[in-house]
Amino acid sequence: MATLSSGAHSDGKHMDVELPCSKKSVVRARFKIKKFADDHGFSAESEDVALAVVEALKNVMQHACPADGMIRIDMKANGDTLTLDVVDTGVGFDIESLPIEPPELLGNHGRGIQLIRGLMDEVSIVSDQEGTVVHMEKRHAP
Amino acid sequence: MEIQVEEKEGFHVVTPVGELDVYTVPLFRKVILKLEGERRHDIILDLTSLTFVDSSGLGSLIETYQKSQSVHGELAFVIDNPRLLKVLKLVDLDKVFKVYPNLGRALQSVGISGGYVDEEFFSDTK
Repeated sequence: MATLSSGAHSDGKHMDVELPCSKKSVVRARFKIKKFADDHGFSAESEDVALAVVEALKNVMQHACPADGMIRIDMKANGDTLTLDVVDTGVGFDIESLPIEPPELLGNHGRGIQLIRGLMDEVSIVSDQEGTVVHMEKRHAP
Repeated sequence: MEIQVEEKEGFHVVTPVGELDVYTVPLFRKVILKLEGERRHDIILDLTSLTFVDSSGLGSLIETYQKSQSVHGELAFVIDNPRLLKVLKLVDLDKVFKVYPNLGRALQSVGISGGYVDEEFFSDTK
């Protein structure tokens, strides 16, 4: 079982964590997520999952810190699939603006979403004026 | 993170120890800028002591590569961690960086041009 801070809740195979929208949260989140994945049989995938969530968090921090200053991460271990939602109540953004093609090889932007897509098996993003949910799934490697 | 710098056979070997991420990139950038300021353009980045790299860290490696290219310096990477190589491959940096599995190989081979990865070495470490 992961050690939880006062901003976290867990019931077995589900954990949600609320973190302030700040750089310090990135490291805290990384360790919590890795531990959750390790504890639930996803050791081989835990580094990938933790890095993907780090990139999602950094994106929120750069573009859409919510007014309440908090970001929520929901994690679920269900059979052979680990599901993670990074949820913020910031201003949201136009999904169409996300690049579909990989970014320019040596360019300055777009590498975070490229990593998320490469590391996770399923990625979907829903965003509107009330916030954004980055939904990610990782399955056990065959 | 701490960063060690030493001179070997005419190259400056830069070894960041720990995590190269959104927190530590400023220190890494400072060390590289100092070397550039001293016109020390032939650099080997020994990444064998890194435990984590995020997109900010990758960005700092790209910056170093671009600076090196702009002054026609030599730049090679030493990576013995398949996980770090996987991250480089996800963003296609293996196609431009010269990556060697140990410092000795890097010092021997750094003059070759184009992207290079010792695939044989990494196939044994998977």
